[in-house]
Formats: sequence, structure tokens, C-alpha cells
Amino acid sequence: MSQSRQINVSKNGVPVTAIVALAIVFVAGLFVVGFDQGHIFSLVYGEEAFQDLYIHELTHDMRHAAGFPCH
Amino acid sequence: MKTFLFILIVIASGAAAGLIHGGLNLIFVEPSLDQAIGIENQHMFASGEEKDTPEFWIKYDGYRTWQKSGQVLAGGILGVSIGALFGIVFALSRNSLPGKTDIKKALVLAGIMWLTIYFIPFLKYPANPPTVGDPETIVLRGILYLVFIAISGFGAFGFYKLSQKLKTKKLVAIVGYAAFIGIAFVVMPENPDKITAPMDLVNNFRIMSAFTVSLYWLSLGVILGSLWHHYKPHKEIIPFN
Ligand SMILES: [Zn+2]
Repeated sequence: MSQSRQINVSKNGVPVTAIVALAIVFVAGLFVVGFDQGHIFSLVYGEEAFQDLYIHELTHDMRHAAGFPCH
Repeated sequence: MKTFLFILIVIASGAAAGLIHGGLNLIFVEPSLDQAIGIENQHMFASGEEKDTPEFWIKYDGYRTWQKSGQVLAGGILGVSIGALFGIVFALSRNSLPGKTDIKKALVLAGIMWLTIYFIPFLKYPANPPTVGDPETIVLRGILYLVFIAISGFGAFGFYKLSQKLKTKKLVAIVGYAAFIGIAFVVMPENPDKITAPMDLVNNFRIMSAFTVSLYWLSLGVILGSLWHHYKPHKEIIPFN
């Protein structure tokens, strides 16, 4: 038991699973608000998503307001 | 550490601070955005791309209302995202952060992260309202911005670790980082886009944008620090035996 605990917990006592999960949340959220140009919906809707830019348009005002490069 | 509680606290504080950010933007930043998009509309009328008709304005108003609701939604998403990064760094660095309470520790870290991954990059690549950016350079601008943030963030972290290893004072790390980021600031290329929008509008937008982002970081520090103080997710669950 003590061995498996050592593998799963960083030396500060923070579980690696939690760090990985939060890192994924960080990257995904940043991409959606800061950089998506139709990529995410294109996974479901195909090429059309790059025309519609639904997520880009929806998060657009925050993209400018938070200082990300835009139009 | 209580994993689930830790993640819950991080997500909740990010979401709360992010919704505050989005709400503040409706008040402080949207007027500049409306003004900038108004200029774009005039350009479209002038070029004949759109006609200045009542139908146009009905469609436009509806669209902008929808987009403003997105401002708040995106505030929540971005808030959780940045909050997740903040939570990771806080959990890993909590023992070495100055301050007696978790609220003070969280505020110190929020201040450091605000400065290194937001404010210094903002000084190099300030936020711009609509009409300023050239669609042709969007990828380049995105890369420059991210690279500079990464240089600054990892630079600060690197100098901190180095001073720990060499057992020098914290001031040495701060001076080292300052010199390092100063060089990066000069060496990194400028934003390639020329500003054609009125400078008053651009400056006002930048001030308001920096103001609400700064309040986001402040809220994030206060909320995460308070929740952490209250729920103490770092405490181990003591088994009965
Ligand atoms: Zn834009």
C-alpha cells in the first residue's frame, strides 16, 4: 500500500491524478476561450464549423477583454 | 490530501472569480467593444458590404446580446481554466509561500502569477479592441503572446528554483528574473498590426481590460484562499486504527 501511495502522490503530497485533471481543464478552457477558430465543433460538424465559428463568436468578447489576440 | 475536495475547491473558486470577471466586463469593457464594433459597421456600410437599414440593426442587436451573454459564459470557462493552473501551483507551492493564513498565501501567489503571466505580457502585447487586429497575422500574434507568457512564467519559476538550490536570498531570484524578462521584452518581436482605430478608444479599452482581469486575479486569490482555509483539503484523512 505504502508503495503505491508514493507513486501516485507528488513529494508535496498533491495527488498526481488531480494535477493531471486540472492541467487538462486548464489547456482545454484556455483553448476554447483564447484560441478556437472552429476546431472544437469541427470534430462533430466537420468543415462547416470553420465557417460558422460558433465558439469563437460566443467567447469573442471575452477573448478581446482578457487580452487574447483577435481581430 | 483530499483529492476530490481539492479539485472541487479549485473549480468552484475559478468559476466564481470568472463569473465575476465576465460580469464586470459587461459593465466596464463592453462599452468599448460596442464602440469598436460600431466603427466596423460604419466601414461595412461605406464599402457596401452591409446596408444601414432597420433590419440590419435588429439583426445586429440580437447578435450582440447573444455575444454579451457569451462574455459571461466565457468568463466562467476562462475562470475555471486559469483557476485550474492557479490551483495546481498553489497546492504545490503552499508550504513555501509566505503568509500565515491560506488567504494570505493565495493572495501572494495570485499577485506573483498576475504579474508574471498576465501583467508583464500585457505590457509587451497589450489587449486590443475589435478592428485593430489583422486576420492575416492572428496565428503569429497568438504564438508570440503564448510564447512570451511561457517565457515569463517558466522564467519566474526557474529563477525561484535556482535561488532555492543555491540557497540565496529571494531577492536574487527577483533580480535575476527582472533581468531575464527585460531581455526577453526587448528581444521579442512587436505586435505586427498597425492601430488604425482612435487611440482614445484603444487606451480606454486597455485600461478597462487590465482593470477587470486584475480584479479576476484578486477574486481568485481571495476565494480560493478562503475556501482552502475553511475546508483544508491538504489535511490527510485520518484512518481509524
Ligand atoms: Zn475579435
